[in-house]
Amino acid sequence: MTHFDAIVIGAGHNGLAAAATLAGAGRKVVVLEKNAVPGGMAVNRAIAPGFDCPAMAHLLSNLDAAEVKALGLDKHGLAHAATDLPTVSLSADGRHVVSDAKGIRYADGATHADEKQFLALRARLVRFAAKLAELKRNPPPSLTGIEWGEALSLGKLALGIRRMGKEDTREFLRVLLSNAYDTILDEVEDGPLAGAFALDSVLGGHIGPRSPGTVLTLMYRLANGGAKHLPRGGMGAVMRAFEGAAKAAGAEIRYGAAVARMIVESDRITGVVLADGTEISGAQVLSSLDPKTTMILAGVGHFDAEMIRRARNIRSKGCTAKVNLALSGAPAFAGLSDAQHRGRLVYAPSLAAMEKAFNRAKYGELPTDPVLEVTVPSLSDPGLVEGDGHVLSAVVQYVPYALKQGWSDESRKALADIVVDCLETFAPGLKASVVASHVMSPLDIETETGAPGGHWHHGEMIADQMLMLRPAPGIERYALPVAGLYLCGSSTHPGGDVTGVPGCNAAKASLQSKLGRVAA
Amino acid sequence: MTNHRPSGDGVLPVRRGLVETPFGRHLRPFSLAEDWMPWAGYVSARRFETVEAEYFAIRNQATLFDISPMHKYAITGKDALAVVNRLVTRNAAKMGDNRVGYSVWCDEDGFVIDDGTLFRFSENSFRLCSQEPQYSWLHDIAWGFDVSIEDQSEAIAGLALQGPTSFSVLHAAGFEGVEKLKPFGIMELSPGLTISRTGFTGDLGYELWVDADKADALWERLWPAGRNFGLRPIGYEALNMARIEAGFIAAGVDFQPIHHAQRPSRGRTPFELGLDWLVSFDKGYFNGRRALTAARQRGPRTMLVALEIEGHKPAQDAFVYHGRKKEAGHVTSALWSPTCKRNLALAELRAPYGISVTDDLWVEIYHPKEGKWEKVMAQAKIIERPFFKNDRRSATPPGRF
Repeated sequence: MTHFDAIVIGAGHNGLAAAATLAGAGRKVVVLEKNAVPGGMAVNRAIAPGFDCPAMAHLLSNLDAAEVKALGLDKHGLAHAATDLPTVSLSADGRHVVSDAKGIRYADGATHADEKQFLALRARLVRFAAKLAELKRNPPPSLTGIEWGEALSLGKLALGIRRMGKEDTREFLRVLLSNAYDTILDEVEDGPLAGAFALDSVLGGHIGPRSPGTVLTLMYRLANGGAKHLPRGGMGAVMRAFEGAAKAAGAEIRYGAAVARMIVESDRITGVVLADGTEISGAQVLSSLDPKTTMILAGVGHFDAEMIRRARNIRSKGCTAKVNLALSGAPAFAGLSDAQHRGRLVYAPSLAAMEKAFNRAKYGELPTDPVLEVTVPSLSDPGLVEGDGHVLSAVVQYVPYALKQGWSDESRKALADIVVDCLETFAPGLKASVVASHVMSPLDIETETGAPGGHWHHGEMIADQMLMLRPAPGIERYALPVAGLYLCGSSTHPGGDVTGVPGCNAAKASLQSKLGRVAA
Repeated sequence: MTNHRPSGDGVLPVRRGLVETPFGRHLRPFSLAEDWMPWAGYVSARRFETVEAEYFAIRNQATLFDISPMHKYAITGKDALAVVNRLVTRNAAKMGDNRVGYSVWCDEDGFVIDDGTLFRFSENSFRLCSQEPQYSWLHDIAWGFDVSIEDQSEAIAGLALQGPTSFSVLHAAGFEGVEKLKPFGIMELSPGLTISRTGFTGDLGYELWVDADKADALWERLWPAGRNFGLRPIGYEALNMARIEAGFIAAGVDFQPIHHAQRPSRGRTPFELGLDWLVSFDKGYFNGRRALTAARQRGPRTMLVALEIEGHKPAQDAFVYHGRKKEAGHVTSALWSPTCKRNLALAELRAPYGISVTDDLWVEIYHPKEGKWEKVMAQAKIIERPFFKNDRRSATPPGRF
């Protein structure tokens, strides 16, 4: 039986980032992935023959340059089809609002009345976000004692915030735990501009713009200035780059290898058993699954009941679905230029509408007026489709995990129809051009990726589940109490989105401990 | 507006106030003192006549104490043993079937949540009797395991039959086979009625567990049988004297159950309660094991010790000093033991007192003397528990007194 220094469960971006980091440090690593391809939530899927589309995640925002360099992702095929996508917020009256790094304006070039206030708000939040971003690259501060080095870096952070000046410091503290609704509407009128900006505060979560703490979530998304990039070859290609980096570093990756359970001896992890009965021995196991699933695989009895209770109570109700369409031709949104078509099309008409949409989701109902983030990746990346067709990728916010009538082909189709009907009002003719559709409900996302509740981030990204409270108090430093067992998924600090940072942080944490003795 | 008063038709959605146990209507006529206290929502006797007479009945006759208010939980199913071993610190796998074991259970920090008696009927069937409610905690412990947890507190009534003539009472009542029952053994007397040779007095004694609807029948069989053996009902006060003599600790008195402690520092590990023998590190993981492993290495912060104190003034709530000057801890339970003829106490001492420093201990006792408080500084020495020991407790077959 082969023995590994570390076994990584799951070949999503975090699992692969962890594997690349560990292998790069000279450890003998194997990654076990139950699916046939890497990616987890960042994979491509053929909607129909010749129509390749990002199945779940479709944009990159938080993957930072340091991470790309550290893992060498650019050397393994990471490339962008388009960078700094403009965000186009669709409006029923045809006055779509475009925002990008340069500023905001109506789609036809006309000036927006709230331009000045909005840009000031955005700039301020981006400034704050940059300060907070420093917290992401390191493990969160510990609740049970702090080392000198950490204290120093936290001190620097506090000083950094203070040095923003009196006004900014006061404003930072005022909005830190506030909600997106109040903070945004303090500055601008409710409408498509506010909606598009607020979308980043709720996307992927079971939260509405009025939920407490959504400003923090928004700042998290603004860490890289809020830029969104379209990867060449879809998210699948991004994952191939992560995979390439891990392999180049020396990690072995096995697909179709579902872990059935872990082996724990004398309070120490010694390996895993696959669904087919194969035993793989390893001194460390890094699980990119959520804490509850990880603890169940290791055996609930190895953890204190309080720890299990905390893991059981992590809020991770997914509220985001995906509708992917294969189109016979390019969609034509009325009033948008070619360049704007290539952007990030958002339908979030107002914060009030978003909050209402969230209400329906809370009670298990499908949306009537869906909140959407849409890309047509094939416009910038023609390689995704063969022939003249196009693929449209729509993230649908506020779709309940626990749908009242249950998730079936019928309810999936109903959701696809709702989305297509909504898009049809902006892009007449789109409905007739639909060749095929592919719907992933939160339940489907859970089934395919193992993410609890189909939640993007394996746990809500709200203040009480962030930093040293992520994923739960007592396990905020990646290590679980069973020696050699670590969490490395997006349930851990700093959390969700395709970044690989939790994986890298976890790998660094595991590298600090000596490898345990191999069980004979 | 919410109406907190009973409604006119007397129908309330929830039970209000204290209720009688299934033995209540039999016990009530014996109460000359009318001295009742609440216990887990039930009316319980503090004493029936005088504490002294009831105490001496425990040590010289036979007594009945109504333990129906005790919380009782059935843990049954395929994983019952695994769940019980996850809960308690002792190794339930080493217990025989139909045996009872004194147990404590801890939280994740290794602090004692409660103590109680664990009844093992088989690998798949246990009962836990405890002072504090444990229903939700048991569900936390059992999550992920194939067991069912049932709160039997109301369904099962209990009587503690304790004292040297207790076996004679059972014999006279016609219960057969009890003579073979060893200490901590369990046997079924008839469907819905089990007996265990257990108790809180350190004396010969039994506990009878009966389906609540059969409580009347049990009383009617037992009470007449006790006529010639001095059987009498007793209240909490007399029992508490016997339990201190027996050296048993009481939750909320000698230690603070951690789930009720507002201050985490009040939590105590089993080691700090002198219960090292109850912690089995070789049975696999159990709740609090990692914390207890660390606690064992770190050593106890406090120690619950048994003290014999000079003089005869009970040292209840007294401070304990080292060298008459340095405060070392406090007394948690105390009495002048009429049977041992010694002044006894349980006390919690702060390390190193009671651990490496065990001599030169003094107890500062305040006592009222006809309207005037007086103070004595009495010397104390640490002695072994139990204070009261008697061979009749464990003799099998038991003596016919």
